[in-house]
Amino acid sequence: MDYISVTDLKTQYKTQTGIVHAVDGISFFLEKGESIGIAGESACGKSTLGLSIMRSLQGGKVVSGDILFEGKSIIKISESEFTKKYRWKEIAMIFQGAMNSLDPVFTIEQQLHEILKQHNYTGDFNAKASETLISVGLNSSVLKKFPHELSGGMKQRIVIAMALLLNPKFVIADEPTTALDVLVQAQIINLLKKLKKDGMSIMLITHDLAIISEIAEKIGVMYGGKMVEFGNSSEIYKNPKHPYTQGLLESIPSLKENKKPKFIRGNPPSLINPSEGCRFYERCPHAMEKCKKDPPQFKTESGYVQCWLYE
Amino acid sequence: MEEILSVQNLTKYFANKGIFSSSKIVKAVDGISFSLKKGEVLVLAGESGSGKTTTSRLILRAIEPDSGTIFFDGVEVTRESKNLDKLRMQCQIIYQDPYAAINPRMKVSDIIMEPLQIHKIGTMSERKKMVIDALHEVRLEPAETIYEKYPHMLSGGQRQRIVLARALVTKPKVIIADEPVSMLDVSVRAEILEMMRELQEKYGISYIYITHDLSTARYLGQRIAIMYLGKIVELGPINDVLFHPRHPYTQALIDAISEPNPDNLYQDKKIRINEPTDIDVYQGCRFRSRCPYAIEKCKDEPPLDQVEKDRLAACFVKIN
Repeated sequence: MDYISVTDLKTQYKTQTGIVHAVDGISFFLEKGESIGIAGESACGKSTLGLSIMRSLQGGKVVSGDILFEGKSIIKISESEFTKKYRWKEIAMIFQGAMNSLDPVFTIEQQLHEILKQHNYTGDFNAKASETLISVGLNSSVLKKFPHELSGGMKQRIVIAMALLLNPKFVIADEPTTALDVLVQAQIINLLKKLKKDGMSIMLITHDLAIISEIAEKIGVMYGGKMVEFGNSSEIYKNPKHPYTQGLLESIPSLKENKKPKFIRGNPPSLINPSEGCRFYERCPHAMEKCKKDPPQFKTESGYVQCWLYE
Repeated sequence: MEEILSVQNLTKYFANKGIFSSSKIVKAVDGISFSLKKGEVLVLAGESGSGKTTTSRLILRAIEPDSGTIFFDGVEVTRESKNLDKLRMQCQIIYQDPYAAINPRMKVSDIIMEPLQIHKIGTMSERKKMVIDALHEVRLEPAETIYEKYPHMLSGGQRQRIVLARALVTKPKVIIADEPVSMLDVSVRAEILEMMRELQEKYGISYIYITHDLSTARYLGQRIAIMYLGKIVELGPINDVLFHPRHPYTQALIDAISEPNPDNLYQDKKIRINEPTDIDVYQGCRFRSRCPYAIEKCKDEPPLDQVEKDRLAACFVKIN
C-alpha cells in the first residue's frame, strides 16, 4: 500500500479574468519513508499542490481527484474531521516565508504554547516546547526570546519546530531555504536530513533542483499546472526524459564542471483557461504536430513522463 | 590591462541609533581596496550583511563614503562634481528586483529614455532610435511593440532586460550588477548572464557582479573578491580562488553549495564552520568566532597579504 497517493488532483482559483487551473490533473505516490521534491518555476502550481494536501487553500478549491494518506482519503472527509485527525498531527506544513510571519509581540514560548493549546495537547507544554526546539538544534534559552532577537536561520528553525510540535509523519516544506544565506541553507538541509533519519517524510517544494537532490528519493517536475515528469531522483538526474526537465537541469551553472548553462527560450504559459495540448509546446525544442493534443502519462522505469516523444 | 575603476580604502560606518540604548556602530564597508580592469568582470561575493551592496552604492555615490577615494577612468570622483556626472553616465547599475527597479506607471519607452533626458543626450528622434537599439540589444522583440508597453505586461525576465536596456542606453563603460538574476527563474537566468557576457565582449563593458551565488559567479567572472562583514578576505583569479581557497570563509562558502547530484541524498553536507559565539566581531579577525582553524594570533587583525601571484588573503592560517 502506498503511504501517500495523489490521483488526478485538480485545484482551481476563480478570478475576474477566468478560472486559473493552478493544479491540473496531478498524480504521484510515495512509499513509507520516502520523500519527494516538487520542482518547477514560479507560478507552476507547486505551492498550490502543497496547500491542497494541507487543505489550507485560500480562494481556491479542489475540484476533482483524491488524496489518500495511509490508504484513507483526506479530501472526502469533513473539515472538522481533517483538523481533528490530520492537520498538524499527521500532516504539517512549513509555509513559504513563514519565518517573517512570527508574531513580533509574543515570545517564542508563547507562540509554541499557542499551537499546543489550539490542538488540545494534554501533556506538559514546557517539556514539549523545549524538546522540540532541541530537535531542531536550538537551545531552550531561545524560548524566552522575541522574534526580532533571532537571526534568519534561527527563525527558520523555529518555524520548522512549530511544524514538528505535534509529531507529524509527513511535512510539506515550501521553499524552506529560500532567502537564507548559503551557509545557513546548508545547516537547514542537514536538519531536514536528520529529521528524515528520524522517520519523517518530507515533501520539499522548491525551484532549486540541487537542494532536492539532498533530500528527496522521488521528484515531481511541474510545469504549467501539470506534473510533466515523476520518478526516482536517481533516474531523473541521470536520464531526464521530458524536454522541460532536461532544460531545467541544463540551465543550472555548475561550480565544478566547465559546462555552459543553457536557457529555456520564452515565457511560462498563463494558467487562465489554458488551451489544449502540451503546456510546454511554445518553448519546446522538439515540438511537433502531435503536441497540440494533451499528452497522456507514458510509463518510465520508476514513474511517468507526459510527453509524446515517449509514446 | 588598464584600470577603469579603482577604489582605495573605502569606508562607510552606519550608526544604529536606538531610542533607549547607546548607538551601535555597524562597519558596513571597512577600508576596502580593489580595482576593475577594462573589459573585466570582477565578482563581489559574500553573505547578506557583508557589505557588497553598500560598496556598489558608495561607488555610484548614492551614499557618501566616510573616507576613501574612487578613481574612474583616471580621474578622482570623490570630490569633483563635474567628474561625478561623468561617472554617473558611464557607470550604470542593475538592481536585484526587476519588479521594484522600474516605475509601473511609465511606459517601457519612457523608462529607457529617462537616463538620456537626465544627461541631455540627443534630440527626441535620436533618443527614440537609441531606445529601440537598446531593446534590440537585449533581444526584446518586436522592439517597436515592446516600446509602447507597460511593465505589468512583461514577465520577470523581460523586466530585467528592460533594466539592462536602461543601463545600456547611455553607453556605459562599467555596469554594476547587484544580484541581477537571483529573483529570476532558473530557466531564464542563463539567458540574462549570456547577454551580459556578449555585451562585455562586444562593447568591452566592465562589470562588477555582486552575488552570493558562486556558480553563476564562476560562469561570468574573471576575478573574485570574497567579502565578510565589511572586509575583503580573499581576492584573486576566480578559478584559483574557487578551486583552491586560502581563506576558511571561502572554503565554507564553497562547501555549502549543492549541485544537482542524486548521490547527495546519502551524505550529510560538510559544514566547516562553527556556531558564532558572542565575542566582539570587530576585535581581531572578524571571522574568528566561526572559524574552525582560529589560533591565538587571530585576536589581531590579519592584513590582506599576497599569498601567490595575483592572489590576496586576509588570514594568519592560510589553509592549503
